[in-house]
Amino acid sequence: MSSNHSTHEQTTRHRHEGPKKHIVAFVLSLVLTIIAFAAVASGEINTTFTYIILVGMALVQVFVQMAFWMHMKDRGHLFPIMGILFGVIVVFTMVIMAEYWVWW
Amino acid sequence: MTAHAAHAHAHPVKRYRGLMDWLTTVDHKKIGILYLIAGGLFFLVGGLEAILIRIQLIGPQKDFVGADTFNELLTMHGTTMIFLAAMPMLFALMNAVIPLQIGARDVAFPFLNSLGFWTFFFGGVLLNVSWFAGHVPDAGWTSYVPLAGPTYNSGHGVDYYVLGLQIAGIGTLLGGINFMATIINMRAPGMSFMRMPMFTWSIFITSMLIVFAFPVLTVGLVALMFDRLFQANFFETATGGSTVLWEHVFWVFGHPEVYILIMPAFGIISEVVSTFSRKRLFGYSSMVFALILIAFLGFMVWAHHMFTTGLGPVANGLFSIATMLIAVPTGVKIFNWLFTLWGGSIRFTTASLFGIGFIPTFTMGGVTGVMLAAAPADYQYHDTYFVVAHFHYVIVGGLINGIFAGLFYWWPKMFGRTLNETLGKWFFWTFYIGFHMTFFVQHFLGLIGMPRRVWTYLPNQGFDTMNLVSTIGAFLMGIGTIMLLINIVITSFKAKNAANDPWEDGRSLEWSIPSPPPEYNFKQIPLVRSADAWWKEKMEGKKEMTPSEPVGPIHMPSPSIKPLIMSIGLFIAGFGFMYDKLYLAIGGIGLTLLCMLLRSVYDDHGFHISEEEQEKGVQA
Amino acid sequence: MSAHELNGELPHEPEKATLEGRNKILGFWLFLGAETVLFGTLFSSYLALRHNIGDGPPASELFELPMTFAATMILLTSSLMSVFAVQALHQKKVKPLIGWLIATIVLGLGFLALEVVEFLNYIDEGHKMPTSAFSSSFYTLVGFHGAHVAFGVLWITLIILQLLKKGLTVVTAPKVYVSAIYWHFIDVVWVFIFTVVYLMGKVV
Repeated sequence: MSSNHSTHEQTTRHRHEGPKKHIVAFVLSLVLTIIAFAAVASGEINTTFTYIILVGMALVQVFVQMAFWMHMKDRGHLFPIMGILFGVIVVFTMVIMAEYWVWW
Repeated sequence: MTAHAAHAHAHPVKRYRGLMDWLTTVDHKKIGILYLIAGGLFFLVGGLEAILIRIQLIGPQKDFVGADTFNELLTMHGTTMIFLAAMPMLFALMNAVIPLQIGARDVAFPFLNSLGFWTFFFGGVLLNVSWFAGHVPDAGWTSYVPLAGPTYNSGHGVDYYVLGLQIAGIGTLLGGINFMATIINMRAPGMSFMRMPMFTWSIFITSMLIVFAFPVLTVGLVALMFDRLFQANFFETATGGSTVLWEHVFWVFGHPEVYILIMPAFGIISEVVSTFSRKRLFGYSSMVFALILIAFLGFMVWAHHMFTTGLGPVANGLFSIATMLIAVPTGVKIFNWLFTLWGGSIRFTTASLFGIGFIPTFTMGGVTGVMLAAAPADYQYHDTYFVVAHFHYVIVGGLINGIFAGLFYWWPKMFGRTLNETLGKWFFWTFYIGFHMTFFVQHFLGLIGMPRRVWTYLPNQGFDTMNLVSTIGAFLMGIGTIMLLINIVITSFKAKNAANDPWEDGRSLEWSIPSPPPEYNFKQIPLVRSADAWWKEKMEGKKEMTPSEPVGPIHMPSPSIKPLIMSIGLFIAGFGFMYDKLYLAIGGIGLTLLCMLLRSVYDDHGFHISEEEQEKGVQA
Repeated sequence: MSAHELNGELPHEPEKATLEGRNKILGFWLFLGAETVLFGTLFSSYLALRHNIGDGPPASELFELPMTFAATMILLTSSLMSVFAVQALHQKKVKPLIGWLIATIVLGLGFLALEVVEFLNYIDEGHKMPTSAFSSSFYTLVGFHGAHVAFGVLWITLIILQLLKKGLTVVTAPKVYVSAIYWHFIDVVWVFIFTVVYLMGKVV
């Protein structure tokens, strides 16, 4: 990390300039949310397909927000990514459990 | 660094003595000792409960304790041993050893470390206050609903379980985060992940399991608490709740939990076996890979505790196969220990005896585990003493043997005094023989049909003799434990003269510094040049590690009473929730939040230990 | 190493300048990994129990999309304000930083107000904690999220007060950064809540 510290500093300084990409992320989140709401509000689309749209929109939006707003795309985020990823794996198995293996 | 010197005494050094020192300490070595004392006390309580259970079962149709008391005893025995004895004793070793092994001056969050201890302690006290309140948890350590729900358990017993574990769980979660951050961020220069001692690796993986498993328990306990206190319906079938949901949630937490217990033992055994064989650990990287694989699979097998619930053949088949897969990485570890011993010049110290004793015992527990993993056969074993024998073989034969090995091994590093070896060996043989007497016969009791968790049995069913043998074994384990206590007392009167490297064959960094270490651990953070860093330096004829920094004033965190007060706040709030005293609940939580606020607003500048003070040798 | 030793100018990316700061950020990420599992468990309980409505109103009749939409927009915007706060932090501009943080908590309070109104409406319609398994798991999941928002508002308020008193230092910078990560995480959880609870609840 120390060897190319000065260049690293310059690039990060450069990266923190300007709110542009955050506003792009915001507009993207907005659009994805509106698509999701519209899919439900219209009531025209069949149930299964609506579910797919909803989950798809949510996943894309969360991915964008985590990458840009939570800086997970930046370097030095190996352990945060691993931590969240492992959490997501655990959650995934629990959702399968809840959908298929719970009754009464 | 010299710029620091001017500031060394800029802030008044606040140091306490005596009791206040222990109540306010943020030093990982002292917190380790606190964990050991508290965990040890709960271990004695849990052990006493076990003895009472065994006395009741010494023969058919005894009425030494009533059926209700028996239920309370078995519930409190399981809960106490797992959450209040085994885990804290592991945390004791983690605290005492990990920062030393990675060449750090403390953990990443010393304040949270102290908070973690005190929340565990008060959670444990809350749970055990139930004995005096007259409402004791009696639904088993798994607390299955509807038995634990408000309909069938209207007293406050299970409330103590829910709130006690909730508070203790906070402490465990904090500990997990703390040790993960410590191991990632605070390793000495040169110590890459693949140069870490195996105990550090095992604690890293264990901490990861804690971080991802404990929140599941938190939610499960919240749901049960809401059901019991606020008429929620998570598990109330009459209003749409699901009892199967509790089983899932509990075991999604519970299975990783039992791996949280055994993994540190794997690490301890790796250290002990390698040290006392005078050989480096065989198959280091396969050991690491096996740990990671076991941890991952550990999250994918919870439903093997629920084969008879009726999940259906597909789910049972999947979980059956996933469970059996775990035998592969575990087998890798067993063979690696054997190959480490192979051709080594083995020394039979007490620690080494426990370490070597661990291997066959744990293997037996593993083999019965594979038997239980076969879903169709499990219908036969389910809820019998076969299961009891299995998990005592892995928990006592595995984890407790590991803890005793670790205690004898690191005792000189923790206290500066080596435990008596003769008494130690007596302790080992008494405990080890007692253990096998107690639990080996239980396999057969289970196979011929004795159900677990039942307070008595009828004569002439073939149960009588084996139960008698089992009870005698339990007494032997009790006698062994008393020998350990005597050993500790005797040792504490001896001179504090343990060498830096009392076993002479130490391999990792903790053996390169005094026993016990000064409060800053390393005067200069060492430079790590290979795995088994200290061994390498010794082999090159060096008397100490190569430093990676010049001598300078050392920055230390200030002691604080706030963790204790925060935990007392939660303790009070627990009673408030339980007995519908809103002012107590709000007051207790308020006290905790107030401490958090003060902690946030007033920066902790810590203090510096100057070079002159280092020369004098500030002892922990 | 405390702020006092770094005489003069603040380092680049002050939140990561000290080991304490780096520890805090890493530890907080691990905590968020734990929070992921916490909310995941709440979600899975909700998913398992959501059809068991007992005598209470069904989700499709209960939920009001316009209100949820408004709440979503408010929280999303609030998250954007928090991003701008971190940008101001990296530019070491204290006044804009405080401004963005105030915008963040004001929007957070707006979200909380809407949630309280919403819950009161539901209670009027006979959807209470003890009504059914659906209602219990709903209030627990959404309530946990709401409690996180409330805690975040209090926390960021406290950080604003510290910034006013102590200024931007290597001690306060990690606090700002970590609270921003927390705030985004709450927004991410809400994305799943409005998707899984509200929108899917409306799909019959």
